[in-house]
Amino acid sequence: MMNTPQQVKNPSSSLKSRFITRFLGALTKINAEDPISSPSPTRIFQRYRRIKVASNKSMAYSVRSRRIWSRAMLSRFRSRRSAFSGRRSSVKTTNCTTINVTINENKTAKGGLDMQTDELRELVPGGEAMDVCNLLDETAHYIKCLTTQVQVMRKIVDFCHLSK
Amino acid sequence: MESNAGATETRSNVTVSDGGEVAAFESLQFTDEIHRLISAPATDNASSFTALLELPATQVVELLHSPESVKLIVASAPNVEDFKGSFHFPSNTGLIKKDARFSVFSGEGNNKNDKSNSPEMTSKNSSANLEKAVKSEPAETASSLPLVSDPTVENRNIKRKDREKKVKGSTKKSKPATNESLEDAEKLPYVHVRARRGQATDSHSLAERARREKINARMKLLQELVPGCNKISGTALVLDEIINHVQSLQRQVEFLSMSLAAVNPRIDFNLDSSFTSESGSTMDGGNFPSLVTPLMWPDVQVNGYRQQFQHQWHFDTLKQPIWGREEVCNNYVTPENSLLSYDSSANSATLHANQLKMEL
Repeated sequence: MMNTPQQVKNPSSSLKSRFITRFLGALTKINAEDPISSPSPTRIFQRYRRIKVASNKSMAYSVRSRRIWSRAMLSRFRSRRSAFSGRRSSVKTTNCTTINVTINENKTAKGGLDMQTDELRELVPGGEAMDVCNLLDETAHYIKCLTTQVQVMRKIVDFCHLSK
Repeated sequence: MESNAGATETRSNVTVSDGGEVAAFESLQFTDEIHRLISAPATDNASSFTALLELPATQVVELLHSPESVKLIVASAPNVEDFKGSFHFPSNTGLIKKDARFSVFSGEGNNKNDKSNSPEMTSKNSSANLEKAVKSEPAETASSLPLVSDPTVENRNIKRKDREKKVKGSTKKSKPATNESLEDAEKLPYVHVRARRGQATDSHSLAERARREKINARMKLLQELVPGCNKISGTALVLDEIINHVQSLQRQVEFLSMSLAAVNPRIDFNLDSSFTSESGSTMDGGNFPSLVTPLMWPDVQVNGYRQQFQHQWHFDTLKQPIWGREEVCNNYVTPENSLLSYDSSANSATLHANQLKMEL
């Protein structure tokens, strides 16, 4: 990836700006592929799905591999892509489930909180293979990234409404 | 033995900068007590000092007499600077005065100046634990935050015991500080645990306690992140709140992407040039292109779409009255030039770009 030194060490190349760049790029691409102003619900639904994936993907790419959840998300995207060509995605999911089973069996520490940690595991991508400590850590970062994502998207929507 | 103790005493006397003579004097007591403990038969009970250290008594004594710091492992290059700091802790002195406590020093450094040599955050962790212990010395705690570990402390399980009552009340005080140092300490390969009075001291429960402390620290961080969680007490409810928050955020992302899909068709998003320039530049619209194009194009995802940008420029401006008709002729040039012309030609376009840039 070509990064100018200005961008790499710049404190202003924050998560937010990286996400903005990528997401807007993805949006323009989606706009390009779609015939403009086709208000049929199916098209809108397709666009919605694409935009959602683009948004999550942009965020995951902005975080790169620094976090477990972003790595899990990225591998999910890649396996999804490869699933179109070959059935490799099933392998990854089976690995996750086996790890999940062993963790469930070994869980003894906080008996009453198992339900919540399980729920959290489902919410946070890649959460199945994490111990509680890391899970909480990843949750915190995931929440931070999600709020950035929501903030940026909301501003874009507002802007679009404004300039209509 | 006594001469060495005297040597350490003089050294700590010389090097004490804050804390004054009291700290030095009490550190002398500390070394004496350690010696006393060591010379006591090591087979008394399982939780004796040397048994705790998992070292033969002689080796411990030797380590203690290494003048630079109290280390548990034979050190390669003891750092005098760090050792100077280790006796600044009045916390240690407070702990020493407690009866029947076995304290283990892991050579925490209180070096405020140099942070470079701390790849091992082990003593950062133990200093973090000490931090928790000694809120009675606010000056010290404030200064001991940027702790630098002794560069030679290695991977051993170091356990520390002290009295709970005084400690517990004060752990609440500098929560962000401890969290900060604890966050660094989380990367440690091993665990510093403090066993409280009246609690079991076998390794399992100590490890358990360390784990619980870590988890509680992270829960506190999460509570700060999630709005409205500060008032809730009890881990289960806090976790419920956190789960709700994550779910709501995910749903918001879905909702917003749906509205983007519905709204989007007419909007052209090549304003990302101005978005990348929002990072740091305070220039007005006219100066955007020169600053922005080097920033924008190296982006990996954008680069691949260069051709599409060109086409889209052409295509969209035909449809969008917002950007003005005069832009059509500008779109047959390269993207860089198109940005230039974009900015110079349509005032309304730059206005919108500025607007969104400022919002973002």
